[in-house]
Amino acid sequence: MSIDIDKCNGCGACMMACAVENNIPPMPESANDRKGITWIRVYKVDNHRAYPERRTAFVPVLCQQCGHDAPCVHVCPQQAVDVDPETGIVGQMPERCLGCRYCMVACPYHARYFNWWDPAWPAGMEKTLNPDVSPRMRGVVEKCNFCHGRWHAAQQKAAAAGQREIDAADYVPACVEACPTGALRFGDLNDSSTEVAQDAARPESFRLLEKIGTEPKIHYRSQRDWVREIANAPHPDGKDEHRG
Amino acid sequence: MTTTRRNLLKFVGGGAAGALLTPAPWRLITDTALWSENWPGIPRPARGEIRARFTHCTLCPAGCAVRARCVGGQPVSLTGVKPHPIGHGALCPWGLVGHQLPYHPARIRQGPVKEAIVAVARAIAQRGAGERVAVLDLRPGRTVSWTYRRAMAVMAGGLYLTPFQPAYAIDLAAARTVVSFGAPLFDGWGTPGNVFAARANFRLIQVEPVESRTAALADIWLPIRPGTESAIASALTGEIAIAEAARATGVDEKTLGAAKEAMAAGPVLALAADPGVTPGNWNAELGALGRTVVARREAPVPEAWKKAAPSTAVSAAPDRSIRVLLIDESLPGGYVPWQDIEPKLAPNAAVVVFSSTSEGYARHAQYVLPTAVYPETAEDIGPAIDTVAAVFRIAAPLIAPVVPVVNSGEFVARIAGLPQTDALRERADAIHKAGRGTLIDYVAAKSKPVKEATADDFWKALNQGGCWMDDTEKQAAPGKLELAAAVVGRPLTSPTLHDELPLTVVTAEPGRGGLESPLMSKLERESNLRLSANRVALSKADARANGIENGSRCVFETARGRLSVVAVIDAGVPAGVVEVAGGARMVDLYGPNRTARVVRV
Amino acid sequence: MIGGKIAFASGMLLALAGGWLAFPRILYQTRLQPVNFSHKIHAEKAGTKCEDCHSFRDDGTYAGIPTLDKCSGCHAAAMGTTAEEKNFIDHYVTPNREPQWLSYARQPENVYFSHISHVKLGQVKCEQCHGNEGGATALRPYQQDPISGYSRDIWGRPVAPVALRSEGGMKMDDCVSCHRRQGLEYSCLGCHK
Repeated sequence: MSIDIDKCNGCGACMMACAVENNIPPMPESANDRKGITWIRVYKVDNHRAYPERRTAFVPVLCQQCGHDAPCVHVCPQQAVDVDPETGIVGQMPERCLGCRYCMVACPYHARYFNWWDPAWPAGMEKTLNPDVSPRMRGVVEKCNFCHGRWHAAQQKAAAAGQREIDAADYVPACVEACPTGALRFGDLNDSSTEVAQDAARPESFRLLEKIGTEPKIHYRSQRDWVREIANAPHPDGKDEHRG
Repeated sequence: MTTTRRNLLKFVGGGAAGALLTPAPWRLITDTALWSENWPGIPRPARGEIRARFTHCTLCPAGCAVRARCVGGQPVSLTGVKPHPIGHGALCPWGLVGHQLPYHPARIRQGPVKEAIVAVARAIAQRGAGERVAVLDLRPGRTVSWTYRRAMAVMAGGLYLTPFQPAYAIDLAAARTVVSFGAPLFDGWGTPGNVFAARANFRLIQVEPVESRTAALADIWLPIRPGTESAIASALTGEIAIAEAARATGVDEKTLGAAKEAMAAGPVLALAADPGVTPGNWNAELGALGRTVVARREAPVPEAWKKAAPSTAVSAAPDRSIRVLLIDESLPGGYVPWQDIEPKLAPNAAVVVFSSTSEGYARHAQYVLPTAVYPETAEDIGPAIDTVAAVFRIAAPLIAPVVPVVNSGEFVARIAGLPQTDALRERADAIHKAGRGTLIDYVAAKSKPVKEATADDFWKALNQGGCWMDDTEKQAAPGKLELAAAVVGRPLTSPTLHDELPLTVVTAEPGRGGLESPLMSKLERESNLRLSANRVALSKADARANGIENGSRCVFETARGRLSVVAVIDAGVPAGVVEVAGGARMVDLYGPNRTARVVRV
Repeated sequence: MIGGKIAFASGMLLALAGGWLAFPRILYQTRLQPVNFSHKIHAEKAGTKCEDCHSFRDDGTYAGIPTLDKCSGCHAAAMGTTAEEKNFIDHYVTPNREPQWLSYARQPENVYFSHISHVKLGQVKCEQCHGNEGGATALRPYQQDPISGYSRDIWGRPVAPVALRSEGGMKMDDCVSCHRRQGLEYSCLGCHK
């Protein structure tokens, strides 16, 4: 995936589409940003200057889909997460998870979320659940799986035509489909003809926390130097002056 | 063998040992584990055939085209329609979760319909001389708006009230420089898909005190002191010197100079946060009239409808004159503060509001009648601010209303004695008869001239998700004077700050009304992305001065009243400003003067 | 003392008998299908094959057990003389009520099984997993494990949780063993949703 931070306006459409696609419930009243479940979360970052020199940017952070040495895969005692050899997706299996949350500690991007409560939808709203994704119970960790439900649907469609390879246009994650500004792009990084691969090769392209060697598959880009510096910052949320 | 306790224990022991050698306990353990996966009562998604159905979103006048993924007829997710010429397949965050609104726990589920009918009939019969019957239409421009207008024309002393309705449309594609005085161009203004499709064509100069989402993406942000927009306007047109403007607004001269230079590129457009306000006759001065600001066009209506009451502003209604007030709050739209409406009501006025939320006028009305919510609604969406050609699109209902609802158009038609007809069908037939324009059929994914379709086919296509768009070339261009009159509104005022109310109120979020899906908590509570309705943002300095910390419970107080809020500290908010989210409760409080204070509880 | 040993032994024997003989019988609860449907009649007289009613849609998804509209297509009026058919028409077709079929192969919610990948790409025959349903004159009784809620078809014939060999159930182990035999690579996300 490639994300153009200079285009992101922080609207949150990606967060909404993700919650709808993946049957993520609304949280109880007592939830805050530490206990909520937001598989993709748009963080507000700034250049740490005082008003009016302060400038803001919005960085959508989701599971970075690390390479085969993903930290969460290493630490899971249940082997509830694995790296899919075919697609490279780091797949989280909540049904195997026992809820130790070791993976949440291991993940340097804070991209994993724990179900503190059983999912509860207001009466009638459970009719709007997506049948391609199973809801999770409390006590398990979940995270972005690159909308594998849509990948499955693309595979079925290809199989209907007798193909084993999916058509790339059929598999678009919900966040990418919903983004109104076109900041998010998705495709095959190994295929150099795709937009995503070309975006990743640009000079202003960077990945979050590259120096720790997680080899994430999400490539961000920005023309602004201070935004690129954020990638090396310890926490994407910035210092304590943020609203919260 | 004697039955002693010891033997009994041995028997039990043998049983246990034997049981362990059978599959029973192991199977029971596994089964219990499987049972525990299901016992929390987590709902299972329903299965069924997956189909795409098309409609339009009614949550704002943009009316974006929507493709609903339906499982067995029930919409489970929404997305835009990519090839649409205006929407370009984009939906905003509210539109993406609109399909959950019918099940909102705070939705109004029942109302005193019979009592309301009786009370309204009695009030109409018993009204005195000069007492009026009024309909307040918060989303004018729809076909049902015509029904209200016709009803008020037929009724003696009928008044059709609306919030300010711009008689112009914005042609964003024609603009090369846009100067926005706080208008949330990238976050709630116009049609999102249209705005972002045109983004590469213009440079945006955003003029506002707080760095909003739009300001963050703008080419130039002018961080002015609140209320000094006129100085910027004058500086950019050269009426005052840059240095003087810099003193007045607090923006440095270099940035102002850069903004002025940027204005030289091509057609300019000025926007304000409130469409009823323009900084002087600015767009006329800039030569925007006829180029980027054009007359708003409406789809044809049947001839019989032309006898309709004109639109009146609430402020223009005589005081204490309205005996029956019917407020159509069924779609999120403009909001007129209750303090502006209340003086217009006669004593013993009967106020009926058609709404699905208790946050708006339901707080003040006597009779609250439940209406359908998107996507149950079957009506058309009025024109969007940034659509140049006339359009007609129906929000075809995707599900039947889940609670008993009242149709406000039928209600008003009945009390006025108008015949009950299918107004949408009549309008569609009138459009078809006019013979102009193109039918964009989402289901078939193609467009064709209206002339090539029969009236029945046209109606069917519109109901299955389809849009009629007029031919822009054939629309007559208006005279410049006509536009100038349409554009001038109230001038921007500087707030009168004083010690009691030292903070200027700035609205952070695009003005929304009505219900929003509980999933919006992801943006408001589960992340720090948006301000929720009960939160205000302050600068560190102002917070410290009042002993407020991040997350403190406070009271937001204005000359009109107070509200319990939670305060957050935001380094992007300058001193002297308090940032609030929209919503009826807030708008009722801060009024036109926009001054407030925040006090820790 | 001897009494103690007898007590122990009798307890043990009782438990062994109960666990090995009685338990498998009482574990499963038998439930009846709403209509006593005969696959054989439809296969022979109506000439239908599996995929005529249990069809694939255009997007590759599987329709599963057919919905009422498939049956109403032919059975709007009685086609034969059986009491079962009359019962079906009276209780389901006329009031337009969906029969609540009990699905033998219903997997847990988190399992993603793609029929079309197996049938079309894998060339797996219906009978391989579901048995010869087409020749059955009546629907098999639906045996459900009341604790876990899954049908006996999922677990397989034997009751023990440890299977010495794959006994034809539809548990994950059964899927994995077949995939291994076919030499197919698989990952968690390939079969879970």
